[in-house]
Amino acid sequence: MKFTLKNQFGALALIFLLFSCNESGSERPLGVYDTGILIMNEGAFGANDGEVFHFDPVTGTAKVNVFEAENNRPFAGLLEDMVLEEDRLYLVANTGKVEIVNPGDFKSRGAVIGDLNQPRSLATSRGKLFISDYGPYDASFKTPDSYVAVVIGLDGGTVKKKIKVSNKPEDLFTSGKYVFVAGSEGGKIEIIDADTETLTKTIDVEGKPVQFFEQRGDLWVYSYDSEKIYFQSFHRENLTKKEFRELPLSKATGRIALGEDDRIYILTSTGWPNYNDGIAVVSIYDSTLIPSWKTGSGFYGLGYDKDRKEIYVSNSKGFQGNGEVAIFSKAGVAVKKLEVGRGPSGFMFR
Amino acid sequence: MTVLFWVVSVFGFVPMQDTVSLEQVEVYAPPLDRFAKGQKLVNFDSKVLEAYAARSLGDLLQEQSPVFVRQYGAGMLASPSFRGTSAGHTAIFWNGLPVNSPSLGQSDLSILPVEAIDQAQLHFGSSGALFGNEAIGGSLHLGSKTEFGKGFQGKISQTIGSFGLFNSAISGGFSSKMFSTKSRFYRQFAQNDFSYRDISRPGTPETKAQNAAVEQLGFVQDFAWNVSAKGQFKAAFWWNKADRQIQPVMGSNTTDRQSDENVRAVLDYFRFGTTSVWNLKTGFVRDNQFFNESQNQTRQFFLASDWDFAKGKSWQFKAGARSTFIRGDLSTYAATDQRFEFYQSARWQTAENLTVSLNLRQFAYLDNFIPFLPGIGGDWKFWEGEKQEILLKASLGKGFKAPTLNDRFWNPGGNPDLLPEESVNGEIGLNWLKKGAFSWDQSLTYYRMQVENWIIWLPRGSIWSPENIREVQNQGIEYQGNTKWEWGTLNWEMGLSYTFSQALDLTSEPANPRQLPYTPQHQANGNLSAGIGGLAVNLSSFYVGQRAIGTGNTRILDSYQIWNAGLRFSDLKWGKTRFPISFQVLNLLDRDYQVLYLRAMPGRSYQLNLTIHL
Repeated sequence: MKFTLKNQFGALALIFLLFSCNESGSERPLGVYDTGILIMNEGAFGANDGEVFHFDPVTGTAKVNVFEAENNRPFAGLLEDMVLEEDRLYLVANTGKVEIVNPGDFKSRGAVIGDLNQPRSLATSRGKLFISDYGPYDASFKTPDSYVAVVIGLDGGTVKKKIKVSNKPEDLFTSGKYVFVAGSEGGKIEIIDADTETLTKTIDVEGKPVQFFEQRGDLWVYSYDSEKIYFQSFHRENLTKKEFRELPLSKATGRIALGEDDRIYILTSTGWPNYNDGIAVVSIYDSTLIPSWKTGSGFYGLGYDKDRKEIYVSNSKGFQGNGEVAIFSKAGVAVKKLEVGRGPSGFMFR
Repeated sequence: MTVLFWVVSVFGFVPMQDTVSLEQVEVYAPPLDRFAKGQKLVNFDSKVLEAYAARSLGDLLQEQSPVFVRQYGAGMLASPSFRGTSAGHTAIFWNGLPVNSPSLGQSDLSILPVEAIDQAQLHFGSSGALFGNEAIGGSLHLGSKTEFGKGFQGKISQTIGSFGLFNSAISGGFSSKMFSTKSRFYRQFAQNDFSYRDISRPGTPETKAQNAAVEQLGFVQDFAWNVSAKGQFKAAFWWNKADRQIQPVMGSNTTDRQSDENVRAVLDYFRFGTTSVWNLKTGFVRDNQFFNESQNQTRQFFLASDWDFAKGKSWQFKAGARSTFIRGDLSTYAATDQRFEFYQSARWQTAENLTVSLNLRQFAYLDNFIPFLPGIGGDWKFWEGEKQEILLKASLGKGFKAPTLNDRFWNPGGNPDLLPEESVNGEIGLNWLKKGAFSWDQSLTYYRMQVENWIIWLPRGSIWSPENIREVQNQGIEYQGNTKWEWGTLNWEMGLSYTFSQALDLTSEPANPRQLPYTPQHQANGNLSAGIGGLAVNLSSFYVGQRAIGTGNTRILDSYQIWNAGLRFSDLKWGKTRFPISFQVLNLLDRDYQVLYLRAMPGRSYQLNLTIHL
């Protein structure tokens, strides 16, 4: 999920880079996976069968197990996040590794293996990798030793340092030399100085912060609890809070997608035992609040294709085997269904 | 002599001599052969069990039977899949006690060492009427063998092997005509630091397996006492403790540990009449498991009684009842359960060539008398020559599985409204026996089975909860053949087995049903041995076909074929002491394979065994 948003900036950056390269005459040819949609399939616990599928919405064709096809070995992990930064695609496995591939051809550039426990997301800054990690479980299945791991270099290697942060860090966002960390369990935004590799500031926020995004030039974090959702923006220059929104949407999850016209799509779920899923639509800038834009069950991931104005909703199908992706038009009309890999949890629109 | 008379009259055995050892009393215990007419049975003889003594039941079943064993690594969890069903669809008995965990509804074959048992039989297909809960795909019957009048017997066995394997066993027993006792102790250890190609890492380097060491300790005590000509007590006790590091799946670096301690005890009293046997059985099973810091314990108490009697020469009956009291103290809940079963079996030998059996069982749990389980079958010897005979076998039966304690009570997610899983199984087969210098025993069986209300755990948001969701249709063909012949001074023996198993999931895509995950359509095994004097060599192989790792059009795992070879010399003697020595090479061709996706398995390994029979 997290990558969905970051990716949109990444894609813009890439387009800009390509354009710049054109100007300079040293362009990188567009790779097979530089266009279309990457589907992130998390995989099943204990099977480590996470993988990336590629879908071409123009031809309607899908390519399965892209990592394995291009590297002649399986991904072998539970795929938690995909992050496109510095012309590299980082595939974060919460089973303890990060694989780094070229975004165009998916060929391996390197990896971070060992010394990680349950990585969740990644950001780059000052030529370093910052990897949020829950840390190991203790005897009561809590994670009191969560950290952000630092790796020198953009193509992987060994963990140089672990910066202790509050429990269960999720998304990361880089702004200059600062790396923002969404501390989900403690309701904290922790800010790391990438130069000194130390925690410089902690900001308390409402709810459970899980996802950073930019809208209208501002940096926001999305957080939620059982009854409400919250949006908090920040002054990047002095690292303080800027604006705050609170909306009465119950049963929200951490999965969101940014649509057009500042619309934000949010996956909701009543959870066990009733288990009714839905998609809500909200806006930070106007009064839009549609609690049940779509309803169903088994919803697991969400994405918005701005080029084709379509909403992608994935269904895990109980993790028993392949999952499914349903594509809807902006008006909510079903367009297409795809069989995808196990546990489809998000999308990257290239 | 009363006992002997009963054996002869009830079971139709005709002794060839006047005095028959009391050892033959043992034949009354398992009702498998007598009331399972028309059904497929495989009996592992003592020679096979001896060859696998240093290994697990999982290895034995995978290499010597049509059962597919889902192995999570060497010495790790191994669960049986019988005729395309799941691990919880195989009932496992030890000396007549059901020993599957009531919380998990299954057993781990890796912690049932062959060293602890003397007998093993496989029964194929749904037979809830004969065996009760969980006998859907089949059942496995393990036990001790009681011997009388053998005096003192002792055995010391030591096996050393690759990857730190160091297995030791010592047993001793004494039996007179009235009394029999046997004690055995074993320790099995493997460091399991084998090399494998780690395909989860860039460059797929050769890596040593980490966190995969296994240690098992066990003690088995058997006891039998003929208190009179008409009465006998039998008791057995089995303590097994397994401490295992849990080998991580490739791509993960977990360092989980699991400790299982199992205590099983059974006490039988038999009262022999002129044409009947009354049996009172009581038993206790305690399973205590630690997974890292999390503890799960269950206890089961059994009380059963049945009466087995003959009426004339043609009819035999068995009727009885069993009650089970279960208490579970799991990491997230505590629960109790009670189950009552009433059963009866009848066997009618209508003519010399036709025998029919009818079995009925009424099960009661959760205060309901459900389900009722009938089963019927017959054996018809429709052709008999001087040295050959062909038997036609056919049967039809129901099976069921009560939801496990975890299914009903796990917190959060347990579903108290679950229905039992139910199955109907029919099979028909031919059995061709040939005696003589070139003898064989060949069987071909076709089966068809429908399983409904199959329980699957599904995510409900972040909580997983079980539901009666799956419907599966299974059908298949099983061939098994054993041939023995002499060629010069060499004694040859060859066994071949092939299984085609189709298990279609009618739930996920009813219009296009696919094979269930981790259920190979094709399996085969074979072995060839040659013996001269006390020297024997053998070559064996087993093949497992492709299997999907999930439902739908998911990843397909490659088929694999593994070869094993062995050499045994059993005529080494010093006075009355025999000390057979054997050497085995497992995975002879060093095949790199996975039974389950990304679960590393060992390459070529060696085992050397020396046993001293005192």
